[in-house]
Amino acid sequence: MNCVELQQSLAEVEDGNSVEQRVHLRACAACSALVKELNQIVAAASQLQAAEEPSPRVWNSIEIALRREGLIRPPRAAWSPIPSFAARWGVARWLVPLAAVLLLAVGIYVRRESLPNQLARQASVTVPVANASDLNDDDLMQEVADNSPEMKTQYAENLRQVNESIRDAQGVVDESPNDEDARRSLMDAYQQKSMLFEMAMDRPLP
Amino acid sequence: MVSRRTAKLIVVGVIVAGTLVAESKREYRFSVGPKAGVSVMNPYGSISVKPSVNNTVVVNAFLHSDKVEVDKNQNGNRVDIQSHLLAGADADSGRVDYEVLVPADASITLHSNTGSLRAEKLHGDVSLEGPGAMVDVRDISDAHVHVKTMNGAVNLDNIQNGHVEVDSLSGDVTLNGVTGPLVQVVSTSGRINYIGDFGSSGEYRLTSHSGDIEATIPEWTSADVSARSVRGEVHDDIPLQPKNHTWFPLDKGRAFAGTMGRVAVSSTVVLRTFSGKIHLRKRSEKQ
Repeated sequence: MNCVELQQSLAEVEDGNSVEQRVHLRACAACSALVKELNQIVAAASQLQAAEEPSPRVWNSIEIALRREGLIRPPRAAWSPIPSFAARWGVARWLVPLAAVLLLAVGIYVRRESLPNQLARQASVTVPVANASDLNDDDLMQEVADNSPEMKTQYAENLRQVNESIRDAQGVVDESPNDEDARRSLMDAYQQKSMLFEMAMDRPLP
Repeated sequence: MVSRRTAKLIVVGVIVAGTLVAESKREYRFSVGPKAGVSVMNPYGSISVKPSVNNTVVVNAFLHSDKVEVDKNQNGNRVDIQSHLLAGADADSGRVDYEVLVPADASITLHSNTGSLRAEKLHGDVSLEGPGAMVDVRDISDAHVHVKTMNGAVNLDNIQNGHVEVDSLSGDVTLNGVTGPLVQVVSTSGRINYIGDFGSSGEYRLTSHSGDIEATIPEWTSADVSARSVRGEVHDDIPLQPKNHTWFPLDKGRAFAGTMGRVAVSSTVVLRTFSGKIHLRKRSEKQ
């Protein structure tokens, strides 16, 4: 079993307890550390006190997220002249989850790439979604134009900058796949772009 | 001499003007318990939060027109305030400026597209977000401080024992006297300026893509410092004890790493930029 197979098997067998997993974990420090981290997270989660009241921010964030998804309605929705969230956002309401999925994919990819065994075998690095820097930029700007026209110029400039940063970092990662800082720069750039999308769509509820 | 008719008109005018002014301001009060949650969502305009003297949330809202109104809701220990834009409202007519007093242990969440976001003298969690908002947070202790902006400048002053996370695309970020277990700034093109001593045993990560990073610290700081600019340059005014091993190549002029002060109580400091400059400066005694 190699590192990739071990990571895939973690989703199927808990705690790294199969014979093959144990053999690999004894020999691979990187995977051993990964499993240790996962176990720590599981252990910490089980110690959370059910009776402890979460921060009001948590409830607030949940409520906002549910409203965004249309699962609960804001108090004024029944009589508001403004159309529903889904009707106003159309396809664009999927941009944030799409960006999140993209980030997750990049994160998993970079994490895997950082394992020593794999680094040795990799000749080059590409981000899974090669055209990610162009991800629905036009849709984003259209939303900004419709809903925050006074900030259109600022969004356009920041979108340009963040796309440029993605191209910069991608270029260096392509040249030097083992450059950990370049990889992190690429990850940061994608995260910043995701944040830009999030902010553009984070509009007040009717 | 003013005629009686003119005097009447003046009196009526003053009364009408006073009424209009009064109509543009609203005050709301809420009684809350310990560790209350207060959120203010304001599309256009500023929000300023200061501590109140008792367990009361006081919201003063200054409405700039009748095209916006204030929705308020209290659910137990949580207070939600939201500017509600009416038909035809724009950035000017939809503007509301808030001055809010909350118990010092309250957690606050503020959002504004424009205008400034300010919070001071609190020890509850602080979350501020706004694409174009200028952010100013000061005198906060023992709390999470999370800030997200696009191009607004961010200024954090005297944050003690904080869990600080700042994300900014192009706004400059200044941290003055900010310490805690985690202090993290990520920026695309904005400058990051840290002034302080990096506390003790914390993790400080200042990251930018093209923005410059400058850290000004006293000579007695204890820290394990790593700095690298992938394509830019680094400058170090403070002698560091070199490290035997780093995870990145120590190209001269592009990276440095080492320790200073007492290792046992040192913080971990990572300064990283893609194409910006990094400068670790020694703070003079006068500063």
